[in-house]
Amino acid sequence: MAQTTIILSIIALVLIVINTKTNGKQYMGLKIGLKQFIKTMPVILGAFILAGIIEVMIPKEFVQNWLSKEAGLKGIFLGTFGGMLLAMGPYAFYPIVASLMVSGAGLGTIISMITGWALLGLSKAPFEIGFFGVDFTIKKTICSLPFSLVAGLIAYFLELIVFS
Amino acid sequence: MYNLKESIIIIYIAAVILLVLGYFIGGWNMILDGLNISIKTAYRSFLMLLASFIIIGQLNVLLTAEVIEKWLQKFKGIKAIIVSAIAGGLFPGGPYIYYPFVSSFKEKKLPFYILISFLFGKQVFDFSRIPLEASLVSPDIALIRYLITFPIPIIVGLIALRFFQDTTAFDFSLKAGEKHGPDNDNP
Repeated sequence: MAQTTIILSIIALVLIVINTKTNGKQYMGLKIGLKQFIKTMPVILGAFILAGIIEVMIPKEFVQNWLSKEAGLKGIFLGTFGGMLLAMGPYAFYPIVASLMVSGAGLGTIISMITGWALLGLSKAPFEIGFFGVDFTIKKTICSLPFSLVAGLIAYFLELIVFS
Repeated sequence: MYNLKESIIIIYIAAVILLVLGYFIGGWNMILDGLNISIKTAYRSFLMLLASFIIIGQLNVLLTAEVIEKWLQKFKGIKAIIVSAIAGGLFPGGPYIYYPFVSSFKEKKLPFYILISFLFGKQVFDFSRIPLEASLVSPDIALIRYLITFPIPIIVGLIALRFFQDTTAFDFSLKAGEKHGPDNDNP
């Protein structure tokens, strides 16, 4: 975790330097970032509470049967549709994913869940329908579904072959 | 940014429901165990999150819609697909910012395959999400997820290029049933 913090801090510093040299808007960037940080804090804290409770509440048998590596395709399907239904922003979504991972969910489930949320997430549907119409949204959803499942399958085999 | 008010309401209602359920299943011990995990995670993630949001803010001022628009108009074919997928990933902001931007491709008569690879690039790559994914889930998972899903926007763009080669985003919106507006008088 400390390593991730160091890497992220270095990237932040590099970006500040780039903005200082190219457009002089580094302070504006800092202001935008910090403002967003403060604004999203209530969501992040709520998500941490939710994730913590999920972690202790989720029955081990459920994870074992439906979400773990052993669950196979079931986990990938459940992950994809779970990701699709979790209509929330990244600040709320990622802690929930992390809690499932800690509880024992397989790599295939986790990857299909994140991909399903990114591609099929229902929170984006109102915007998509508003700007491109229902027809486009339905076609895009149908076309996106196999990608999420395949991503989960690749991760599942990766876990089976490489990480076991 | 996503609709925060909505997210806050959903998250806290779900948390309250689970806290009540937790109380009935495992009593105060289960609730306290859960809250203990939450506090530990919040404590461990604070600095990572702060750094993540500094990155997001800096990307916001570095990569403006104008900069990205210039890139998109420069290329054609496969190059355009790769550039627009990456541009989508770099484009800052949530759906209420990028959907209007993508929708403007119609007026600019950009090809449909550019629109589709940009849209998928934004949703799959979204590089401003990397710091959040790495800090809130795990750097390894973020890396594996990006490597596995990296080809998706390019594959989708290639499929669109194959089947809708000469279709512009403007033509596509007409085929999708959009009513003729003032812009549609000059197709």
